[in-house]
Amino acid sequence: MNVKLETSEEYALVSLEGRVDTTNANEFENAMLKVISDGHTKIILDCSGLDYISSSGLRVFLIVQKKLTAAKGQFRLFGLQPGIVEIFDISGFTSIFSIFPNKEAATKP
Amino acid sequence: MNRDTFSTVLRVENRLDELTRVASFLNDLGVEWTLNERLVNSLNLVLEEALSNIIMYGYKDELRHIIEIYFKNLGDEIFISIVDDGMAYNPTLRPDPDISLGIEDRPVGGLGVFLIKKLMDSVEYLSEGNKNILNLKKNMK
Repeated sequence: MNVKLETSEEYALVSLEGRVDTTNANEFENAMLKVISDGHTKIILDCSGLDYISSSGLRVFLIVQKKLTAAKGQFRLFGLQPGIVEIFDISGFTSIFSIFPNKEAATKP
Repeated sequence: MNRDTFSTVLRVENRLDELTRVASFLNDLGVEWTLNERLVNSLNLVLEEALSNIIMYGYKDELRHIIEIYFKNLGDEIFISIVDDGMAYNPTLRPDPDISLGIEDRPVGGLGVFLIKKLMDSVEYLSEGNKNILNLKKNMK
């Protein structure tokens, strides 16, 4: 799993690549919590490189969404692969996350 | 790996780092049985959820335990049987999470078994002697 961060004045763009599962979900969680604790309340997550996620990873998405909602911030996802969309649908995540079709749509103010 | 064409078994220890070996095994199996990537990922997810629960919650002792995972390719169906000697526990009895809850009310845990039930076409639990047996079937499109 690879997490890359690009920050601008308007938002933090995080790119997530690879797998998020029980063996590395903590790493992903720590990376995201750091972005938030660094003061970013608008986070855009590029999921185009995310190949696989299990409930441990879904848990991190939920934690981030809860924190940003509580902080009146924004959490936007784009580039979800079909297999990941299926897992999000089953979990009822599609209605609680802001999912965009591509980077252009996700980064529009 | 020793196997005949249509069935195989993977034995793992009760450690979470074994999940990496499971993922790798499934990738190889996917090639061997010509399974598409979506199916391999679904099987990986289901196994990860089932095994994590067994590894994290199934044993009261600090000892090494073996979990056996049997795979059968029946042509139109994949059959998986997970056998462990942990504490008797039927995961199918876990109530489903309420997936209609909004973000503030969604609890953070509880999705694992639910995902297994949703991704597999059939989930069956049996208890035999001191073993928990979880039988899973997936129809192949």
